[in-house]
Amino acid sequence: MGYQMDKQAINRCFSELSKEYIIYAPKCYEGKGAFSDTDLIRYGEVTTVDEIEFREKSRFSFKEILLPISQTLFYFTENEVKEADGPKKSAIVFLRSCDLHAVKRLDAVYLNNAFEDYYYKRIREKVHFVLMGCKESFDSCFCVDMGTNRSENYDMAMEERDGMFYVDVKEERFKEVFASQAIKEEEVEVSYVTETKTKVHIPEDLTSAVAKSTMWDEYDSRCIACGRCNFSCPTCTCFTMQDIFYTDNGKVGERRRVQASCMVDGFTDVAGGGSYRQKKGQRMRFKVLHKALDFKKRNGYQMCVGCGRCDDVCPEYISFSHCLNRLEEGMKEVSDNE
Amino acid sequence: MNKNEYIPFLSEIKEVIKHTDIEYTFRMEYNGEQKVKPGQFFEVSIPKFGEAPISVSGIGEGFIDLTIRRVGKVTNEVFERYVGDTLFLRGPYGNGFDVEDYKGKEVVVVAGGTGVSPVRGIIEHFSHNPQDAKGMTLIAGFKSKNDILFKEDLKQWDETMNLILTLDSNGGDTSYKEGLVTAYIPTLELQDVSTAVAIVVGPPAMMRFSVMALLERGFKEENIWISHERKMCCGLGKCGHCRINDSYVCIDGPVYNYTVGSQLFD
Amino acid sequence: MDMNTKKLKKNAFRVTKVRGVTASRIRVPGGHMDAKYLSQIQKIAETYGNGTVHITNRQGFEVPGIRFEDMPKVNEMLQPIIEGLEINQVEPNTGYPASGTRNVIGCIGNRVCPFACYDTTALAQRIEKEIFPNDLHFKVAVTGCPNDCAKVRMHDFGIMGMALPMFEPERCISCGACVRACKKKSTEALKPVNFRPQRDADKCIGCGECVLNCPTSAWTRDTKKYFRLTLMGRSGKKNPRLGEDFIKWVDADSIVKIIKNTYDYVKEYIDKDAPGGKEHIGYIIDRTGFEEFKKWALKDVELPECAQVSTPVYWKGIKY
Repeated sequence: MGYQMDKQAINRCFSELSKEYIIYAPKCYEGKGAFSDTDLIRYGEVTTVDEIEFREKSRFSFKEILLPISQTLFYFTENEVKEADGPKKSAIVFLRSCDLHAVKRLDAVYLNNAFEDYYYKRIREKVHFVLMGCKESFDSCFCVDMGTNRSENYDMAMEERDGMFYVDVKEERFKEVFASQAIKEEEVEVSYVTETKTKVHIPEDLTSAVAKSTMWDEYDSRCIACGRCNFSCPTCTCFTMQDIFYTDNGKVGERRRVQASCMVDGFTDVAGGGSYRQKKGQRMRFKVLHKALDFKKRNGYQMCVGCGRCDDVCPEYISFSHCLNRLEEGMKEVSDNE
Repeated sequence: MNKNEYIPFLSEIKEVIKHTDIEYTFRMEYNGEQKVKPGQFFEVSIPKFGEAPISVSGIGEGFIDLTIRRVGKVTNEVFERYVGDTLFLRGPYGNGFDVEDYKGKEVVVVAGGTGVSPVRGIIEHFSHNPQDAKGMTLIAGFKSKNDILFKEDLKQWDETMNLILTLDSNGGDTSYKEGLVTAYIPTLELQDVSTAVAIVVGPPAMMRFSVMALLERGFKEENIWISHERKMCCGLGKCGHCRINDSYVCIDGPVYNYTVGSQLFD
Repeated sequence: MDMNTKKLKKNAFRVTKVRGVTASRIRVPGGHMDAKYLSQIQKIAETYGNGTVHITNRQGFEVPGIRFEDMPKVNEMLQPIIEGLEINQVEPNTGYPASGTRNVIGCIGNRVCPFACYDTTALAQRIEKEIFPNDLHFKVAVTGCPNDCAKVRMHDFGIMGMALPMFEPERCISCGACVRACKKKSTEALKPVNFRPQRDADKCIGCGECVLNCPTSAWTRDTKKYFRLTLMGRSGKKNPRLGEDFIKWVDADSIVKIIKNTYDYVKEYIDKDAPGGKEHIGYIIDRTGFEEFKKWALKDVELPECAQVSTPVYWKGIKY
């Protein structure tokens, strides 16, 4: 059911929802950008619609809610472990279509892939998604080519047009809240983009043979292995375990997992000093082929959702979409060499 | 709610077998419901120090053996523990070796260093049940005399199978063969190489060259199995550290038939 | 030919080696201005100068080859520049009212540079507004970060931007980028403790490398602006030396007040026989002792709580 309402009405809905849910949305943190006097757009709690950043793309994605950057798994003493508490409140998460498609990718890894992840699931079960309409794409977006520009599987969808808010509510539990505040009920469809400035073509015949192409070599010197591409990516899901002991009582502590990056040194280190993919170009290859080939082999659809964040955040101006577009040439090169 | 796979269980150290200064086998209490297979691994942990994936080197009634090499933060700490102490475990994880794949065939195991651990269960099976295989050869390589693992087992295996024990350097002790494991592959005596099966476990370079030698000797790709070592951090196909191409070593491996394993490329 | 050179100099002209010929000195606070003023400078140089322009060490322009009699005309032509750059003036069309207090130098700052911790141009302009015109010989320079591209330690007052790093532990993924950057590029103020960086506040110089290198924005900047204020650096014949730290983590308001207070101090203690009425402040402090200077400088200054004042300050430098 669709509803039209003004800002005050939306905010009344927000305060009603806030009783039971934490509302997460992209938010502008003033002065928190890496460069001085720049802002940071990332996810945070909001209590009014005014706090939501509808215009800009968030630097980091919603994934921080489902997979916290740092998440305590359990507390331990020397001979006992105690599971960390899960979230008490349910959550409502605002996101764009590309990111909603990313949820499916996170689910594929964390709810399936041999084991169901206990910690992911207990958050995931409590999360509802609100699709934010995209009236136009950002420069680096390529959702249309990845097929992620439209989403239907939302609980709610919301968009602002000329100061009025238009909400489509699919999830029953939210209908009453919005119906009670609406100026009128009407069919609502939020905007989606049908064309992006950045275009991407992943060759149909792509195989892992492209790993042998020389196309990766330039990244050996260009990439600085900072991992920004991974941390901003809504579909990157890797983590590392850490055991922490509390410094004031060395016998107790916690085990946590923190987000990890396949581009950062140490990702593949095995005990005894071995490691794989020391060259940054090879790490680039590993990442790019996961997003555009390996994940698909396992799950039947591409991992990359075309949000373009990795392009936006790379301090060395390495463009992921540009790299995808070089795969065709790379395939040609390796098949010519055979 | 689903099971929280991340929570480890306490396990008592039943026995410690010292092979070398830095390699001990810890016999750990295990009464889990899940049957353990050779080649599978456990995440061994000591709170504060973290977890390390360790492959199972022996399986018995109420226990599993974990042969641990002292090379890092966790394993250093494990070496400070004695019989009666406890360690935290979770597992078993990974696919492991399946004895059925090798039954009734001529079996060749090529193992280097701690690579013996994951295949020890397979070797033991055919050592105790020689009738299960058409022939059994073990080529075991170690760096030097002081690095030999499972000495007692090797004595027994020498009687139950064709054992080739070789050292990278015998340090002048001519009672030991000297040379890389690969040196013994071309002259392997087999009734029918086209049906013979091989298992190769060890350091990456050793595995690569051994497989090359086996293929040259006439082994079929589909008759070779290898086991990959990677940073298996969660063991659950989640953390991503062990992924190679579209395969997660911790859930799809660590044991791969060579037809699959050869396609994995990091 | 009769010319009051004292007045000429005060009017921002120069006595040159050629009799009857002067040069006009145009101040550009922070070294930044709208490009349109370049054509006016060009016009002055081509109409009354010798057709050349010198870019000065203090980020101004000097138009040489102007005849004494053309100075009033040049002053008229300077008017749009003086107004455009919002230089304090006493009477329109009379050029610059003073030259003792020099142009405030600034690096490019955070309008362009990723390292800069603040808008250097804006601060330079603010200070210029506060201290000019004045005949006393004051040199002030501002720079965006501790890289000190503006070489502020060569000035009486050196102002260096500082970022107070704020850490959100739950955003840290232990990649070590901050620790490495701090060690390799800065002062090794960070070390990993329990997988997370621990900051040694005494060692931290506020360069912002941790913030710049953090891939997850676990490190961010405090939105308040802080500075390091260095004192009494100088070149010159007698005892050239680098400025020493006076206050770390000081705010812009305090800095402005301190500089203004120093004018009072100098008026009180300047050598009345100084050649041309010009004495570097540093020599005055050498004479009165640092504590006396400090007393004057910090009069009615309310420093932020985090400010760290170095006292006493000792200078080194080259002594002949």
